[in-house]
Amino acid sequence: MPRTHGIDLALFVHVIGAMILMGGLVTAAGAGIIGWRDTGGGLRRLSALTLFAVALPGWIVMRVGAEWVYSKEGWDDVPDKLQPTWLGIGYITADAGGIILLVALILGGIGVRRARSGGGAGLLKASTVLAAVLIAVYVVTVWAMGGKPN
Amino acid sequence: MNFYDWMLALHLLAAFAIAAALVLYSVLVFNGRRMESPDQTKFLFRIAPIGTPLIGGGSVLALILGVILAIDSDRYEIWNGWIIAAIVLWALMGAIGGRTGKYYTDVQKLAQEGGEGAQQEVLARLRAPTGALLHLGTVLVFVLILLDMIFKPGA
Repeated sequence: MPRTHGIDLALFVHVIGAMILMGGLVTAAGAGIIGWRDTGGGLRRLSALTLFAVALPGWIVMRVGAEWVYSKEGWDDVPDKLQPTWLGIGYITADAGGIILLVALILGGIGVRRARSGGGAGLLKASTVLAAVLIAVYVVTVWAMGGKPN
Repeated sequence: MNFYDWMLALHLLAAFAIAAALVLYSVLVFNGRRMESPDQTKFLFRIAPIGTPLIGGGSVLALILGVILAIDSDRYEIWNGWIIAAIVLWALMGAIGGRTGKYYTDVQKLAQEGGEGAQQEVLARLRAPTGALLHLGTVLVFVLILLDMIFKPGA
């Protein structure tokens, strides 16, 4: 079913937020994995800071855009049972992903603080692993949003 | 999911790969401008290769899958204004992105050559506005393509 032009702006906000989120996750996971064995923690710190400064704002913009599109398309008036599968996938992965991102941010934040006194490597590595898991989750989400399986 | 749905999903994933690379490069350009010692610049050049397959593969796939979508669609034709605009913008993004890539590859080569003078030149080039402006141009053209894809002017 063709979508109307009425949701274009909301969809743009949703997509640009999702792209910033994905880029932040790729950068954070990449920096964390490449710097995994480094004795200096520069790359692991960059990983945690990217999650905070790029992925988190991206997630917020994506989630606001998602709610805006949901409202504009009138899904509020459709019973949950009749809503398509792809919409459910989007909601579950966005919200569960938000919780995982929050845990990664907390681990990374504590890790960055401890790194100043020479510790925190384990926490920063855990934060990197969660960022990598989120990339996999959001690849599935992008596929579902694009292909709209039902 | 039919053939069109699959192509659309993969087209979207290709666009996300380009976006991910551009965000990664943005982080590196931003950090590169704040570097104060040659040692700090080394990790930038270690992360940058992650973006190469993402932007290269993503760009080629986005174009090919986009053309397939236009041919397969009953509603759109390849000669529609917004599709031609997207292809022109795609070529422009490639041209500016190519120049950006060359600028930073040259800086990386200079960093690998070593030497006190070379290291100071690396810092100066990372701080210079040239690379950042080229990168900003690439990002702006990508955002224009995204706007064109979503708003589909004239469709």
